[in-house]
Amino acid sequence: MCCSAQLTETDLAPQSMNPAYLDAIKGMRFFDPHIHMTSRTTDDYQAMADAGVVAIIEPAFWLGQPRTGVDTFKDYYSSLVGWERFRSSQFGIKHYCTIGLNSKEANNEKLSEQVMEILPLFIYKEGVVGIGEIGFDDQTALEEKYYRAQLQLAREAGLPVQIHTPHRDKKQGTQRSMDIALEMGLDPHMVIVDHNNEETVKEVLDRGFWAAFTIYPFTKMGNERMVEIVKQYGTERIMVNSAADWGISDPLAVPKTAALMLERGIDRAAVELVTYRNAITAFAQSGQISEADFDSVKEIDQSLKYNGSTILRGGQQPRPNKQSTIIR
Amino acid sequence: MGYAYDEQQTGALLEQIISRHTTAKQAQWVADRLAAWQQQHALQQFNLAFAAAPRFLGREPVAVEEAEAAALPLSLEGYTLDRLFRIWWLLQIPAEDKERYVDIIENLFHSAEMNELVALYGALPMLAWPEAWKLRTAEGIRSNIGSVLEAIMERNPYPAAYLDEAAWNQLVLKAFFTEKQVHLISGLDQRANPELARILLDYSHERRAAGRAVHPMLWRLVGPYISEASFEDIERLWFSEYNAEREAAALACYASGYEPARQLLDKKPEIRAEIEAGQLTWETVAHRIND
Repeated sequence: MCCSAQLTETDLAPQSMNPAYLDAIKGMRFFDPHIHMTSRTTDDYQAMADAGVVAIIEPAFWLGQPRTGVDTFKDYYSSLVGWERFRSSQFGIKHYCTIGLNSKEANNEKLSEQVMEILPLFIYKEGVVGIGEIGFDDQTALEEKYYRAQLQLAREAGLPVQIHTPHRDKKQGTQRSMDIALEMGLDPHMVIVDHNNEETVKEVLDRGFWAAFTIYPFTKMGNERMVEIVKQYGTERIMVNSAADWGISDPLAVPKTAALMLERGIDRAAVELVTYRNAITAFAQSGQISEADFDSVKEIDQSLKYNGSTILRGGQQPRPNKQSTIIR
Repeated sequence: MGYAYDEQQTGALLEQIISRHTTAKQAQWVADRLAAWQQQHALQQFNLAFAAAPRFLGREPVAVEEAEAAALPLSLEGYTLDRLFRIWWLLQIPAEDKERYVDIIENLFHSAEMNELVALYGALPMLAWPEAWKLRTAEGIRSNIGSVLEAIMERNPYPAAYLDEAAWNQLVLKAFFTEKQVHLISGLDQRANPELARILLDYSHERRAAGRAVHPMLWRLVGPYISEASFEDIERLWFSEYNAEREAAALACYASGYEPARQLLDKKPEIRAEIEAGQLTWETVAHRIND
């Protein structure tokens, strides 16, 4: 999630696009384990597919303004396992999600009680690879109450947990999140602690949790810092995501970071671990991820040759030429 | 009670196919779920088994014998084990109390993910109280999810049997707009109607004005209602450079009672003979386009 950043003149200057990095990562496959596609465009899907993103996880989150009723939660969860999953498949990207009550909205107790009632309806659904993103925002008592309740759900369902660590008072929030997870009887290997930085990573890894890093301009990690993290800590239990959402964020953060790592001398096998394999290993503990699906979602049933135009089947979207002023 | 077919026989048949595809462990899971549901009748038990089926049964394709297929009220073409279990599981809901029965199923629709929606809409021909699902089906046709639309449209006898004309016409139109396999819609010829022919003719004009192709299967629904207004389009098709379009024109004329259309077909007695011998059909046109 984003908040306002200190802008300079350079930040406001128009950016030029240099897709040269795509050559460096040609043929690599990427898995973005945290991205909010509900807030993104089809152009983003297209660009992600072009950059080699084959599968993603969309955690349930706050939509930018608070919800006022349980039905909107229900519809949102439904769209994560329904419409958004289908929209993603149209671009050949396999879409998984985690389902949970986010920390911000956990502060509305009356609503949270109702949301807790409907969660079991969704967490057993196909393609739900964890409970998330849950944890702390302001670190209030109510946030803790519902964080605990959802850890309990995850333990019963045998699902991984995706923890959102707070922006403010991050270090302590991260510690508390881990303490409570252990207290609730979770195996740290089933817990992915997200939005780490240089200050939190060591403890997360030392205690046996997975450490996820969000490459997000201005407010979270930059990818040059990410390169240094991998050089210092290696690749074990480390993963990279974009957390792209309705803020100023980059849905290509994972492939771009992979390209930068290669450029700065990290070997390809290590890059593959932190931008693909580790996230799959962590979330596949849900029993809901099959790599074979990454290919089958790409299959186009058959193309129909008719009147010289090819009609795509299997729901794949035809590709418009974005470079042309002519729209057909 | 509430069923429009012999649900006992169908249930037994589905059970037979399921047991043929399950390992001992999977069969145990099914037996446990059934026992839990029948003993406790707790809705959460019912919903959980419905949702969790793929986790415990997987999604291997199922093979159905010809005799079985013939005795079933719906086609199991393309079914996987989880989907087969789900439709059988729906038969385990007591159907005597209509209101409760409908509530349980509507609730599944409300929180369904993609594959669950496919299973539910595909199960329409098997549900009790068939009159109760008309609005639900019309709602399903508004979906934008390809596989959900296919479950309603393709090889599904429910819509043709129960939808009113306006909803039926929307189904057919949506099938064209979303490039579904129109020839797989059950009851396509039986439910043809002049209003649908008019809408489709307008649509074909729109496509032509935009320089976009018109699917030849469209003329199947215009054929029985060819009139002065549409004959010009049929003639254009008749002289098309594409085989599929020329064949569509011939088949449309064959279905028509409009004299000029009959005369047009008479110019090619060998084509008429092919149609009469069943060598040229809308199926063969569909295959020509799809293969």
